[in-house]
Amino acid sequence: MIRRVLLIVAVLVALAAIAFWALRPGGFARKTTASLTPVPAPTPTPAPETRVMLLFPGTDGALHPELRTVPLPAELNQRVRVIVSQLLAGPTARLLPVAGYPARLLDVFIDGRGNAYVDLSSPPQPLTGSFNELMLAYSIVDSVLLNCQELKGVQLLFDDHEVQTLTGHLDLSRPLALNKSFIAAQ
Amino acid sequence: MAGVPRTWVRLPPPPPCFYMRSITHILALLVVLFLAALPAQAQPAGTVTFSFDGNVAQVPRFGSRIELMPVLQLIGAQAGYSQAAGTYVIQLGNHQIQITPQVRFALVDGELEKTNDAAVVSPGGIAVSESYLDRVILSPFAYHLERSGAGYRIAPGAMVAPVVTVRAAAADFGTTTTLVLTLSRHVAVTVTAGAGRELLVHFSDARPQLDGSLPMRSRRIVAIRAAANTLKIELAPGQGLLASHQLTGPDRVIVEVGRRPPTPVPTPVARARKPKRPTIVIDPGHGGADSGAVSASGLEEKVVSLAVATRLATLLKRDGYVVRLTRAGDETRALTDRTALANRLDAVAFISLHANASTVSSVRGAETYYMSLHDATDAHAAETARKENAAGAPGRRGGSQLDLILWDMAQARVLNRSALLALDIQRQLNSFLDLPDRGVKQAPFVVLTGATMPAVLVEMGFLSNPAEAGQLADPAYRQRLAEALARGIEEFLRSSS
Repeated sequence: MIRRVLLIVAVLVALAAIAFWALRPGGFARKTTASLTPVPAPTPTPAPETRVMLLFPGTDGALHPELRTVPLPAELNQRVRVIVSQLLAGPTARLLPVAGYPARLLDVFIDGRGNAYVDLSSPPQPLTGSFNELMLAYSIVDSVLLNCQELKGVQLLFDDHEVQTLTGHLDLSRPLALNKSFIAAQ
Repeated sequence: MAGVPRTWVRLPPPPPCFYMRSITHILALLVVLFLAALPAQAQPAGTVTFSFDGNVAQVPRFGSRIELMPVLQLIGAQAGYSQAAGTYVIQLGNHQIQITPQVRFALVDGELEKTNDAAVVSPGGIAVSESYLDRVILSPFAYHLERSGAGYRIAPGAMVAPVVTVRAAAADFGTTTTLVLTLSRHVAVTVTAGAGRELLVHFSDARPQLDGSLPMRSRRIVAIRAAANTLKIELAPGQGLLASHQLTGPDRVIVEVGRRPPTPVPTPVARARKPKRPTIVIDPGHGGADSGAVSASGLEEKVVSLAVATRLATLLKRDGYVVRLTRAGDETRALTDRTALANRLDAVAFISLHANASTVSSVRGAETYYMSLHDATDAHAAETARKENAAGAPGRRGGSQLDLILWDMAQARVLNRSALLALDIQRQLNSFLDLPDRGVKQAPFVVLTGATMPAVLVEMGFLSNPAEAGQLADPAYRQRLAEALARGIEEFLRSSS
């Protein structure tokens, strides 16, 4: 008889525990009302090797093309990241680095109007000279726009911030369009 | 009780009702314990209550922030994480928001919006501040956050109207000014005269955010400010609203500003006026706290630019021009103030003087720039507007279409003349100074934006190149540089006249 009573008590305790668990936040009751549909991470597929044209500054104040074959994802944001990362890695030929400091790519955004926003780390010390500013800006702008033709403009951000200008010359407060006047005539 | 012997007896087993009473006591105890636990479940420590449309959710806190996912569940928004872009995509109805942890920008319906703080990665995925939740997440979905006891209520109606980006551009045409406000999307707008010299452009259910990327070529418009749902346009004394209308494709508001011409009073004798001498504005680059480039020997760009500008001014004055410098000494001047001075003086040319720098010391030579205004986006928008306006959609006013075309034409004319000025200056620099020709190029320089006259920026040499830095420090070389510049400017003015 005592054993039967103890069994009933155990069952009741178990039921109480289940009820307690079901009513807590994140428990069974919440899951039934969830309307969130998490997007599963896409299965990674290797990006196809593609030839891209990267523009690096020369001492003549012009941008010179360097062709590289790199894995280029189809997704636009990723494509911009690859292009900018390749540029920041530096030229292989006797050309100049894109930035006069070890710039890092922090982020890339694409808006609904065909503009890419490339967020770079700021120079540790203020840059000077329109040459440095123009070469940094148009190496990135022209390389991205030539390789991602669905884009219309590229705006540079520094440490998540919009800047009016970097050295007191070029207007960086808006997306820049392709500027072929800086690309060296072949 | 003393003296009474104690005897221990074995009691018979209790009747079954005794056990039944015990079970009842245990059950009652369990019920009491369960009920005691319930309040703790309703508001566990570290959570905050959110209510929406009769539903309630306990949302965990993450520091001072709030876990976002339970709030999205509550309002029925769909959310997903794009591993490729590192962003969360939130969708409700036709609206979409993309947010990236640690970044003070969000894409709201395709528009990049600056945020006061950033979302952060949290145990629940992503957490945001109360203001971020209200302004960035709930507002585009037309909801807002209200305090309700110790928690929050999500109520319909955006307290903070969604942003509409406004690109303002103005140009003077004779006695009137056309102000074009290009909107990032369609919003109903009313334009009224405010107090004093103010015009008010009121946006219905939208918060204007100014994009100052287009030129303000006007002496009649002093300033434009965005305040809540209104743009406040400050006019020069005596100016007022003449007309306003709204166009689509692209969405824009055209505001005509000017002074109604007074009835001419006949004068007995018209006094002959002396022809006005043309004014040239020279801008010595940088100045004050902004030294510009500095050579290895310590020569500063601001010093070189002022020294050459002073010499150039003397030469041009000698030849009969009125010359004004944007700074006469070592002073800080805003870039926009420099061009504004040239516009106020109705100058015939604006020349900004600079010395360059490169991280590579072998780079040398001079180059001249003029404005590149039309990026692909602007050109596309202008082309679309032109096509749609040319199609003559009913209900559009011919006057406004004409003004837009005139405005475009005025920009093109200034750019063409700037190109000629740049070519004349560069040719003189090349031939008289034996500098390597780096050519004439176009770029959107801040100091050239908004100039209503031919305007160029001259880089006179590289301070990072030891040989050129030495030359730029030499007074005789500065004089020759000024002479070459003066020849270039005068050649341009002669050919234009």
